[in-house]
Amino acid sequence: MSMPSEVKMKVEDLSAFYASVRAVEGINLEIPDRRVTAIIGPSGCGKSTLIRCLNRMHETTPKARVEGRVLLDGDDLYELDATLVRRRVGMVFQKPNPFATMSIYNNVSAPLRFNGRPSRQEMDQTVVRSLKHAALWDEVKDRVDSAATSLSGGQQQRLCIARALAGDPEVLLMDEPCSALDPIATSKIEELIGQLKNDYTVVIVTHNMQQAARVSDFTAFLYLGKLIEFGPTGDLFERPKEHLTESYITGRFG
Amino acid sequence: MNKDPLADTGEPRGYDLEVRHLKDRAVRMGGWALGMVHDGWRAYDQGDLAAAQAVLDRAGQLDQFDEDMEHATIAFLVLRQPAAVDLRTAAGLLKSTTHLDRIGRLGFDMARITSSGPAKELPELRSLLQEMDDIVESMIRQTLDALNRDNIELARQLFRRDDTVDRMHRQANRVIITNLEKDPALVRRLAGDLLVARHFERIADNACKVGEKTIYALTGQRRSEYLPRHPTRPYVLERPLPDSGGGRT
Amino acid sequence: MILDRHHRRQLFSHSMTVLSGLAIVVIMVPLIAVIYEAVVLGSPAFSFIFFTQRPALGCAPISGITCSLGGVSPAIQGTFVLLGLASLIAVPIGVGAAIFVVEFGGPIARVISTTADVLSGVPSILAGVFIYTILLQYDRALVFSYGSASLALGVLMIPIVVRTTEEALRTVPNSVREAALALGIARWKTGIRIVLVTALPGVVTGVLLAVARAAGEAAPLLFTLGNSCFHPFEGITQEGCALPLWIFQGATAPYQNWYTLAWGAALLLIVIILVISLTSRVVLNRLVRRMGGQ
Repeated sequence: MSMPSEVKMKVEDLSAFYASVRAVEGINLEIPDRRVTAIIGPSGCGKSTLIRCLNRMHETTPKARVEGRVLLDGDDLYELDATLVRRRVGMVFQKPNPFATMSIYNNVSAPLRFNGRPSRQEMDQTVVRSLKHAALWDEVKDRVDSAATSLSGGQQQRLCIARALAGDPEVLLMDEPCSALDPIATSKIEELIGQLKNDYTVVIVTHNMQQAARVSDFTAFLYLGKLIEFGPTGDLFERPKEHLTESYITGRFG
Repeated sequence: MNKDPLADTGEPRGYDLEVRHLKDRAVRMGGWALGMVHDGWRAYDQGDLAAAQAVLDRAGQLDQFDEDMEHATIAFLVLRQPAAVDLRTAAGLLKSTTHLDRIGRLGFDMARITSSGPAKELPELRSLLQEMDDIVESMIRQTLDALNRDNIELARQLFRRDDTVDRMHRQANRVIITNLEKDPALVRRLAGDLLVARHFERIADNACKVGEKTIYALTGQRRSEYLPRHPTRPYVLERPLPDSGGGRT
Repeated sequence: MILDRHHRRQLFSHSMTVLSGLAIVVIMVPLIAVIYEAVVLGSPAFSFIFFTQRPALGCAPISGITCSLGGVSPAIQGTFVLLGLASLIAVPIGVGAAIFVVEFGGPIARVISTTADVLSGVPSILAGVFIYTILLQYDRALVFSYGSASLALGVLMIPIVVRTTEEALRTVPNSVREAALALGIARWKTGIRIVLVTALPGVVTGVLLAVARAAGEAAPLLFTLGNSCFHPFEGITQEGCALPLWIFQGATAPYQNWYTLAWGAALLLIVIILVISLTSRVVLNRLVRRMGGQ
């Protein structure tokens, strides 16, 4: 696996705090464009905190703050308006969270409707395209007006992915997207991720190493808030450079 | 409060025990193969048909080892999905099984071509072949030792000894062909010696390959990363005539 | 009587059951008594005239003369006007404040929330006095008017609306907010168009309950509504009437017919409040079902 030519996001000396507690320390990381980058590590190592810094969701927690920079195509995300950042960097959460009061159609079109004044045609096109991108269109095309909550867990998660894609982000962040799903739903989403990377840069946090191995091109290993190792997934799993990395992935701790 | 996760407590962790079992199997198989080489050579050298037959009877056990080893290693791979050192060790053992099997087979073949009665001609050839056997058996023991004890240095030392065996092989070839030209009546004996010399060279090579796998398991490095090919002279055809010869440095 | 442990426990259990039953009776008695009285004394006043006409002139009972009753139509009009205006004032302010408190947080939000908690426990008469005093400084002519009374009732309703809306908004799980924020939707928009909508059943219930409360308040009206129970609604700057006010006036007057009308108004008020409460339940269920169950 060759290093890609472009870096999509660059994390420079990032530290993140909850009040006075430092959850993540001095992270330097380059996220390659249109590849899947996985972030792995034991519980509490800061991987969720890190990914939430990439779309400025970390600061929505009271008393949370951030030091350092995050660049997206050279733009410092912490100098821009936070809501604009979140339109360029989308996110899917661990527990599927479609808007329960809305239909499938309204869920997927939400980023358009709430951030602008789209025409009916624009919305229709976007909804169909996003649902297709999320591999959900075939299953719901006859009932886009039914309640989002009528879908199964795995379908709801794909709905959330479609909704995130509808805003046309450049980067898609996924925080343990399959944790709450059964194995079949999980494998559908993993397959989907493989297709998504053609058009989007994907960053996925997972506590499941085999999933990271299956799905990602690059892997970052975090431990106690620090970045221990980063590299092509195959290399990292076959011959990690750091002793800590090897101890973790061979199950000798964590 | 929290124990240092890397502190060596001396207790087995992760898949330590399972990998240990796999290695033990490999070492046992290697021991069996070593026995076949030792007894096969002696049977050939002494012309002892009974001894040769005994070796032939042990071939089935070698097959069994091969299958068991493969089965155990694949089970470990699929059920544990190991990574890093565990993965490299298991993958290495899978290939080493083949090499150990070949070593055993080569001993088997030496027994197979045994003809009645010891050879009395060409004593310097006899002692050359005996010396080859000594080195080769020692190499087998060394590679198994390196595997068993996770010793990179022992593995590394095999390469030089392999070069030595190569040289001895070429030397034996020269002696045999020269003498064949001089005295064609010796052809039956010398044909066998030609094969046996070649078998020793192959055994040494296979022992080396097992060593390479040990190095790979421990360091992740493949052969080309630490043993570069000769820059100006890659593999050259074997020229058994008196010459500086080709081959690896 | 010497009892073993088992029988002692049984006796205890039974006596507790009896006591609970007695407690229920004690609670129900006044409630039933009041309703009974209202029905008995008030229903004679009900008629088409009752709802459409103003009260007849007061007449004390002299033997032989039956007084005509008339109706309480000005009071009914007044109640609806007041409730409508008060809601118009209280709902935007109350809901807006609650959204601010829950979605944005911070020290100001905590102050607002605590203030609302405190104010909801304050006697309702103070709302009346408060508006009365302010308008006295501002423009005497407006002191007694529908406008003034609406303000007073509004002030009364606001803390209730803030508290119930706050509670309803807090039941919305954070995952909803995160989902919206992560799509690049601004915080205020998230609060209004998504969180509020999700919590709508609870918010509506809260508003209806505040309305029901305001419908029955008499004390604030004493200071702000004036007394004009014989004229229909003529403008928010005019003095007016409302059901609680008429009850007060009619029940304390020496006129028999007014007394009866007062009980009629009381019964009507009970019915109105009952209807609002039941409506809020029905609305809650309907909305909840339509929104996919919360």
